[in-house]
Amino acid sequence: MASQYTREVSYRIFAQEFRDSNLSFKDGSDQYSPQYLLTPTGAKINRMFIVGTLTEKEDIGTDAEYWRARVVDPTGVFLIYAGQFQPEAARVVAEVESPQYLAIVGKPSTYQTEDGTILTSVRPENIHVVDPATRDRWVVETAQCTMERINNIDSNHPDAVRAKEHYQPDVSIYRKMAFDALKDLNSG
Amino acid sequence: MIKDISKQIQERFNQKGYTIPDSEIETRLDKLINEFKVPAEEAHRSVVNFFLKEYNIPREDFFPAQGDTPTVQISDIDTDNKWVNIRAKVVQLWDSEHESIDQVGLVGDETGTIKFTKWTRADLPKLVEGKSYLFKNVVTDSYEERFSIKMNRTSQIEDINDDIIEVELVPTVEISDIDTDNKWVNVRAKVAQLWDSEHESIGQVGLIGDQTGTIKFTKWAKSELPALVEGKSYLLKNVVTDSYDGRFSIKMNKTSQIEEVNEDIEIGTTEVEFIGAMVDIQAGSGLIKRCPECNRALIKGVCGEHGKVEGVYDLRIKAVIDDGRSVQDSLLNREISERVTGITLDEAIHMATEALDQSVVIEKIKGEFVGKYYSVSGPKLDRYILVDTITPLGPIENSEIEAIIAQVEV
Ligand SMILES: [Zn+2]
Repeated sequence: MASQYTREVSYRIFAQEFRDSNLSFKDGSDQYSPQYLLTPTGAKINRMFIVGTLTEKEDIGTDAEYWRARVVDPTGVFLIYAGQFQPEAARVVAEVESPQYLAIVGKPSTYQTEDGTILTSVRPENIHVVDPATRDRWVVETAQCTMERINNIDSNHPDAVRAKEHYQPDVSIYRKMAFDALKDLNSG
Repeated sequence: MIKDISKQIQERFNQKGYTIPDSEIETRLDKLINEFKVPAEEAHRSVVNFFLKEYNIPREDFFPAQGDTPTVQISDIDTDNKWVNIRAKVVQLWDSEHESIDQVGLVGDETGTIKFTKWTRADLPKLVEGKSYLFKNVVTDSYEERFSIKMNRTSQIEDINDDIIEVELVPTVEISDIDTDNKWVNVRAKVAQLWDSEHESIGQVGLIGDQTGTIKFTKWAKSELPALVEGKSYLLKNVVTDSYDGRFSIKMNKTSQIEEVNEDIEIGTTEVEFIGAMVDIQAGSGLIKRCPECNRALIKGVCGEHGKVEGVYDLRIKAVIDDGRSVQDSLLNREISERVTGITLDEAIHMATEALDQSVVIEKIKGEFVGKYYSVSGPKLDRYILVDTITPLGPIENSEIEAIIAQVEV
């Protein structure tokens, strides 16, 4: 049967909060220690689940195929990079035409630009085409997960404490983000 | 080792207000242990006595008066270097492996058993197997997290044979009672699942259960124990409890025994429901082959127990469902897999034969299921839901969204 390790949860994060995240660190010191990204509302993520609309894709590879895809949710854009190390995901991106609803399970990744800005992107583990109902459900679920984190931001949970320390977040921004995402669904 | 003992000795003197340079302690210890091959325990004692004399420290300062020594039960012993009295029966005498050891073996009381070592130089009376004694002023010790007691010169032994002490050798426990690690127990249970062993040192791994629940087991390859069969019930004797990440398990090693029992132990389970997105379907899903002898899933045509065998086809899905807060492993057997995918086992075999590739089945299932939301329910066994119902979630109702908006607005 299945292996006995503990699998990382696939966190639900809106694009806006993901874009605002810049604290990346390893838990532990050896090369196998997992890498995490801490978000402003205190999600410590090693894996995430996104459902959004593919709006653009481009093969930016020089020798081998290397796809950059833009996947949008009600709050912003996720950048997805898939190349030879994500063959299944890269194949889906290569085949699918935009716009299309995609469900993506992947790892957060960060990149620091010359001026010190940290950019976040996603390295997909798998990508699948889904229907609008799945996308709506994801928006609702992500809004709920975001609100749960906001409601716990003043707790003494180590992730919340660390997020507050690092970002000093104005959580009303993220509350409004979640609220608007839900409103948007309801009117649509 | 010398540094450790030296530190212990120094700390003990420190507690009493005496400072002894550790170089002095180390030199003496080194001489005794390395030059004169004195066992560590004895060297420890000898060095303590040497410095007591050297610094004119009264012995009473150092060794607790008899009245102060607590009388404890064996299961209470959970620290080393403590002076205690115990009332216990000599359960077993073992062969001494060194002339410095007069007698060694196992003593027991109503709460359990513990190893004892009686030093030759302690000059204590001979213990007889099966007789009960009051052991006064013995010292607790530990090695690899297992405790023992040592009887030395300050110890006393009194015959109390009139008192019959009932000894609890290895308790037979129910699975839900397992809540500490490093305890030897017997368990009556049924093998609920066998998992694929991930390391050659592991003979078998899986899940056993009784009326009170389930627990993971690991049977070491070195244990040379008979193979457990899924669905059969056993009395597992002398197994050790263990814990990892707050989850308990049992280990079967060389001293363990396995007896098949002629009864079908019912496994107590709780029915659960989980709603979330299917984020992955794990390897070993889709069309697989099982060992005809033990039903274990084959890896590249090989059974972990029976080697290369002619496998029997089966269909299963090991789905990972995730709600953004926790992960739920879910197992769909052939019947449920056939129903939810619309692919029968025969069709799956046909697909694989056409494509000359068994993996076409899992790929097709992944393409249709991963990334979508489901509700799964069924009995929960360890970390798995054995799915008996799986329902795709349809469009979310507007009223549901409104209710959530109302919550957010507050
Ligand atoms: Zn077999």
